[in-house]
Amino acid sequence: MSEPVTRRDLLHQVVRGSVLATFAGGALFLVKKAHGQVVWQVDASRCVNSRLGDTGAEACKLCTTECVVALSAVRAVNEYSKCGRCNICPAYFNITSAVDEKGLPSEKLCPRDAITRKPIGKADPEDPANNFYEYIVDEEKCDGCGKCVMKCKEPLGLGSIVLRVRYDKCVNCNRCAISRACPKDALMQIPVEQALRPPEIRPGTE
Amino acid sequence: MRLVGQVVNLRPIVNRPSRPTAGSIRLSCARRLLLALLLCLAFLPSAHAQPVPYQRPVETAPQADTIGGGYKTPAVQKPLPRDYWLQVLDVLILAAALGISVWLVLKRRSRKWAVALTIGSLAYFGFYRQGCICPIGSIQNVAVALTDRAYSIPIVVTATFFLPLVMALFFGRAFCGGVCALGAIQELVVLKPVRVPPRLDRALGLLKYVYLGLTIFLAVKPALGRDFLICRFDPFVGFFRRTGAPHMLILGGGFLLLGMFVGRPYCRYLCPYGGLLTWCTRLARRGVTITPDKELDCGLCAGACPYGAIEGMRAVRKDCLYCARCYASCPRDGGLARAKAGLVTLS
Repeated sequence: MSEPVTRRDLLHQVVRGSVLATFAGGALFLVKKAHGQVVWQVDASRCVNSRLGDTGAEACKLCTTECVVALSAVRAVNEYSKCGRCNICPAYFNITSAVDEKGLPSEKLCPRDAITRKPIGKADPEDPANNFYEYIVDEEKCDGCGKCVMKCKEPLGLGSIVLRVRYDKCVNCNRCAISRACPKDALMQIPVEQALRPPEIRPGTE
Repeated sequence: MRLVGQVVNLRPIVNRPSRPTAGSIRLSCARRLLLALLLCLAFLPSAHAQPVPYQRPVETAPQADTIGGGYKTPAVQKPLPRDYWLQVLDVLILAAALGISVWLVLKRRSRKWAVALTIGSLAYFGFYRQGCICPIGSIQNVAVALTDRAYSIPIVVTATFFLPLVMALFFGRAFCGGVCALGAIQELVVLKPVRVPPRLDRALGLLKYVYLGLTIFLAVKPALGRDFLICRFDPFVGFFRRTGAPHMLILGGGFLLLGMFVGRPYCRYLCPYGGLLTWCTRLARRGVTITPDKELDCGLCAGACPYGAIEGMRAVRKDCLYCARCYASCPRDGGLARAKAGLVTLS
């Protein structure tokens, strides 16, 4: 035999039922409205480090300092198909440093030594101008300070290195902390389907 | 420096006359000389004060077929966001953890296992998922999605928001006990809790509704003025991510320090989701009950509860945080009773 239902219990049941119904209605409304996840991405045509025209100035470091993730979820990425693979790369070397005996700048640009290079084919020591290199950004070392990005853009480089949100690091904050600080509103939310093809690097130049 | 000017005027450099042979990229003689000259100029000491006269040696990026020699352009690293099925898995784990929490506390009545679940949740939702499977923060997303026509939230977020609330409608604040990462980190630092005077406790408890109201108010503003307060002022997320603004880490440290002597201060006095759970818990069908049928009225449980959730020898559901300490301290239930039973058999 079940216990007798008191008036209090009955009232509870009624209220609980109506709250549940409200929840179900709210959830249904939200589910019907839902259309996929959005993720943050850097618009390279707005970012001062990669947009054309802003040269000479110090690189903007807000992506490094503002991100809530260790080091930063924004890292420099080398788009290999756009890389000139130059012997003296302005993003790899500090091209204003003194030249060593091999004719190469003596200092590297990256403060964290995150860019490495390896010769394509056989490097000819007699003919440095004709040696070409593959430049690789070590994503685990990079903190997205943007120095190399600033140097890689036209006219010094070809603009192959850009800052990009790494989705394996990004925790997808409701309001990205970098976006709150970015003076150019370069961080924007895009549908996750577009994450494979991030915003075009240099609009109007290709 | 006139020379520098002349050199710069030479742009663009010679166009490549013909495609280079496979295996090498050759520059014309003239171009090589020019480049050497450029390099020399680039590194003259006087160049420091001037704009860098460096000029890139190529006009366009050499592609794999131009480079030849079997060179392949490496794939650009584009790590994708967490797979959708993994996000669904996170929600399923949340649901499972809620169920386990209810089972361990209401059925097994085991403090030891409840602590194990707390540690597990802290590890997974806290340190592994970096505090971002968060029903607390989802309040804001739900509030925005309900009010802003253009804003929508993924189904997983909707589920994350509603699951603990529905659970609370039936069983009380099971989420706070073994599942919430913010609760877990405070739960584990409780050292020597003092009893907060009931009136002060009640007054401070109202703060969470103020916070809830403020949070919703700032979240439902138009998109540009919108702010996500809970996420920005989450005191513990800095520990989960092992990085954070210094003032937030200090705040989090302060909460943990306070939490050694005042049980779970964030949960009891500030957590806006705790406010919602409290309302739902008032309607709960079941909750933590202290040794039904074998009551001693010894009051040990009330002394053991760090959250002031036992009044008149009865658990107050809306304040009960599902930690199961009362069972562990009960001479007729849980660990103490089992130890006593052992003693009896020994003698």
